[in-house]
Amino acid sequence: MNNKYRILRFAVLVVFGIIALRLFYIQIVDGSYKRSSANNSLRYEVQYPPRGVVYDRNGEYLIQSKEIYDLMIIPGDVEPFDTMLMCRIVNVSKERLKRELRKARNYSWRRPSVLLSQISKEAKLRLDELNYPGFYVVLRTARSYPRNIAGNLLGYVGEVGERDIERDDYYRSGDYIGKSGIELAYEKELRGEKGVKINLVDVHGIVKGQYEDGRFDTLPTAGLALTSTLDARLQEFGEELMAGKVGSIVAIEPSTGEILIMASSPSYNPDQLVGRERGNNYMELLRDSRRPLFNRAVMSKYPPGSTFKLVNGLIGLQEGVLTTEQHYPCSMGYKVGKGVACHAHPSPIKLEQAVQMSCNAYFCYVFRNILDNRRKYPEIGDALEQWNEYVRSFGFGRKLDSDFTGELNGNVPTRAYYDKVYNKHWNSLTVISLSIGQGELGCTPLQMANLAATIANRGYYYIPHVVKHIEGRDSIDRRFYERHTTLIDRKHFSTIVEGMYKAVHEPGGTAVALGRLQGLELCGKTGTAQNPQGKDHSTFLGFAPKDDPKIAISVYVENGGFGGTIAVPIASLIVEKYLTDTITRPHLVDYVKNMKIAYPYYDNKKHK
Amino acid sequence: MITRNINNSGRGAMSNVDWVAVLLYFALIAFGWVNIYAATNSGSADSPFDITDRYGMQLIWIGGSLLIGVVMMLLDYKYYHILAYPIYIAALLLVLVTLTPLGHESNGARAWIKLGPILIQPAEFMKIGVALAVARFMSAYTFSTKKLSDVVKLGVMIGIPMLAILLQNDTGSALVYCSFLFMLFREGLNVWIYIVIGFVVALFVLSFWIEPTVMLVLLVVVCAALQALQNDNLKQTLQYLAAVTLTSVAVYYLFVAVGAAVSMFWSVIIALGLSLPVLVTYAYRRQMTGVFMYLLLFVFSVGFAQVTDVVFDKMQPHQQHRILDLLGIESDVSNWGYNVVQSKIAIGSGGFAGKGFMNGTQTKFNFVPEQETDFIFCTVGEEWGFVGTMLVVSLFAMFILRLMRMGERQQETFGRVYCYSVAGVFLMHVLINIGMTIGLMPVIGIPLPFFSYGGSSFLAFSLLFFVALRLDEANRELSSFSV
Repeated sequence: MNNKYRILRFAVLVVFGIIALRLFYIQIVDGSYKRSSANNSLRYEVQYPPRGVVYDRNGEYLIQSKEIYDLMIIPGDVEPFDTMLMCRIVNVSKERLKRELRKARNYSWRRPSVLLSQISKEAKLRLDELNYPGFYVVLRTARSYPRNIAGNLLGYVGEVGERDIERDDYYRSGDYIGKSGIELAYEKELRGEKGVKINLVDVHGIVKGQYEDGRFDTLPTAGLALTSTLDARLQEFGEELMAGKVGSIVAIEPSTGEILIMASSPSYNPDQLVGRERGNNYMELLRDSRRPLFNRAVMSKYPPGSTFKLVNGLIGLQEGVLTTEQHYPCSMGYKVGKGVACHAHPSPIKLEQAVQMSCNAYFCYVFRNILDNRRKYPEIGDALEQWNEYVRSFGFGRKLDSDFTGELNGNVPTRAYYDKVYNKHWNSLTVISLSIGQGELGCTPLQMANLAATIANRGYYYIPHVVKHIEGRDSIDRRFYERHTTLIDRKHFSTIVEGMYKAVHEPGGTAVALGRLQGLELCGKTGTAQNPQGKDHSTFLGFAPKDDPKIAISVYVENGGFGGTIAVPIASLIVEKYLTDTITRPHLVDYVKNMKIAYPYYDNKKHK
Repeated sequence: MITRNINNSGRGAMSNVDWVAVLLYFALIAFGWVNIYAATNSGSADSPFDITDRYGMQLIWIGGSLLIGVVMMLLDYKYYHILAYPIYIAALLLVLVTLTPLGHESNGARAWIKLGPILIQPAEFMKIGVALAVARFMSAYTFSTKKLSDVVKLGVMIGIPMLAILLQNDTGSALVYCSFLFMLFREGLNVWIYIVIGFVVALFVLSFWIEPTVMLVLLVVVCAALQALQNDNLKQTLQYLAAVTLTSVAVYYLFVAVGAAVSMFWSVIIALGLSLPVLVTYAYRRQMTGVFMYLLLFVFSVGFAQVTDVVFDKMQPHQQHRILDLLGIESDVSNWGYNVVQSKIAIGSGGFAGKGFMNGTQTKFNFVPEQETDFIFCTVGEEWGFVGTMLVVSLFAMFILRLMRMGERQQETFGRVYCYSVAGVFLMHVLINIGMTIGLMPVIGIPLPFFSYGGSSFLAFSLLFFVALRLDEANRELSSFSV
């Protein structure tokens, strides 16, 4: 055999041997190519679950989910495309499109991000047809609000921020998250579980089919439906009545703590914060000097005014410095020290009448007796601390720990505070404004409604809450079933309640003129709160019916003047609507709606 | 046997056909077509014979090639001897036509002629012409590979088409003509040519990989060692190396001391230069000519390593990138290295048994470029796995060894030279093509025989094979190689 032939044969075998070895290495030994191949061709497409819907207490929709589409982009797969056509289809300016493209590129070259959110179904169909490489459309759900009410309470959803993504690995860029209200408080229940669809894509990012026929795909699980405690129709009516006014209405079912209304005015149409114009609308709402995004019902700290006399009266009785038959004189005011003015009413009067007619002087006497009770308290500071304890037991001065976000503590002044401010030189006259709910006191409308519910219950309350049922769960959080009892004995409430009844029903009562309605048995207390912003705030808190109350309510109208003029009719109408489901006084509705209140404090303010 | 011709009929006509080679040929084209089908099937449920798709078109080429192949088997083998030069000339003219305005440019290479709907690539057929012409030339009784004039003539014969194809800007196809060195080795071309070529290639690759100074030192050591082996003067050599080292260091620090900067590279050069008179005197006294040979080799090598840069700069950017990528120096995944990276991913992800027929995601979804032509082996690797690639590699190895064996059993030089040429061409194509897909070779766009889509190449490879088969049938030496 030829020697050269043998050498060449050997050379050929060596060449093929090297090729075979190399193939053995990359196909058998090195596993990294399999991963690279998967990275290339598998695209994990998130399947977004529909967000949980929210019903009102009667099963009506407060929040629905509607289908929308997001245009996704993988910048690395994009090939030159007709930008003008794209702009026309999705209805955005070329500049906007360019900006969004740049944003997506900066985020990631390979990972999908949302280019434009909430495009129309028509646009989706057009884009599916065009099948531009690097673009695809995903189904999302957006919120829709059949009644357009309770914007502040329900809250809104928006895209997650960097911090949300860091905190919770559920979220990816472009996901939605509850930003405020119920949406935020019940985010975990509402969001559901995302699913994933593993698609095979070609080099252009165009979907070619399902990976392993979808064996590894998971379906999204819809978010849980919530049943709110709100009464949608009542809420809507409340918002109607509050239109044009600044303030809030909070109504609670005393036996459960369920919030029936929480209307903060001005409000906004929650639909404004959904969809493409969300950003612009949001900025506009943010710029609005009356601050519609501000949920006054829980975030505003108001002086409670005369409504707070109820608390002082109860404390006086409990402390034993006041009896139900104790009479005090009043001739247009309390004349000790700086003095506290009062209005014309019979004199002397007892506790029941003092509540009925809202006598300032009477409660000055009571309050001073509480603080100056030296037999019990060696120092006024000790007495104030005890008073503070009582007040706090009504839920004032601290968050009620409700189930929505943004609650304020409010303020109940302490001994330490006065010691500091007055350098320890203060007495009961120094802090006399507390007797009529002025001064350093600060309460949220929710706390005032809670006071109404507590008195309706004659001494206890349940934490007010807005969600009563979560789909598939037996109960809501146990804290909402716990009864919180005040430090006041039940027996002391009857006189106060009687006074509140008479305030609405008997001549001389502060709420008689616009509050009384036969058969409603509304009991309440007006308040006219002085404030640095201008005209007095008009407020009223009450409940009905007198026995076995079904609704407790607090109405607070900023700069509304005397409590009886605006807060009372609003409360009366709401209670009537809730208890009887009818409105027998259309003229009163017109009266409320036509009342114009000027808000120079807000409207003249220069913003930004 | 010489009398057997076209008039022979009956059972004996095909009795000498090498059926093993034919079987290998059919196995290759069948598996090749299956992979083209997988690579080009767009997923629609068309008939496999749909000529609007590439796999359908390829089937037509296969059918046509087989038809022509049968006709060629019936032709008298002597015609190939007679027609060798005319075929060469005709093919060369076709290649030259591409350089005229009649040529058609695609992918940057002006390598095609457009005939109605089909594109013909004359360079593919040129291989047959060169193989036949070279065989004819070398079968002359006066020819000898030891005669310089003959070798030069042979070089011209191969060089002209190679140059023409280079002018088409089809470097890959031109490179294939180097495969005739395979046959020339068998025919006794000086072994030193192969050693020098190997040395130059190694130097070229190494000059990219290692620092010039390291390269220089390496060359000094290698040359000195070779010289020591030949002249058996290890001791003196070591002394010499030690002296050069010391001198280099001294020169380096001398320059530093003076305040002038000199690189280590030039220090070594200066030291070597200083040693030259000593070296020459030493060698001259002992009459050791070997020393001069290695000195020459050294000077050449150093010069070459320096020239490499210049040559490299002269290359086109895409060629530079392909070489750099292969050497692992530059890996720009999204650009030049993309093809190779995706190709390796395709083959590597096939694993042992592959992803299954038509299930290759890399190929089906176009991650691999040119997947039905130059990168068809990716489909094999991805869908059929290691089993599939081993099958293909084994088939090609057996096919090429079979062609060599057919050459060996030829009675005449003409047939042997031709068969070896064909074996060389196949080897070159398979090595470069598969090597490129698995990152062993730079990306050189030449087809994988019988696998890559393309009529011209398929027909040309078939013709190459059928002529060899015909010659084998006719001129088999009935000695140790009887079937």
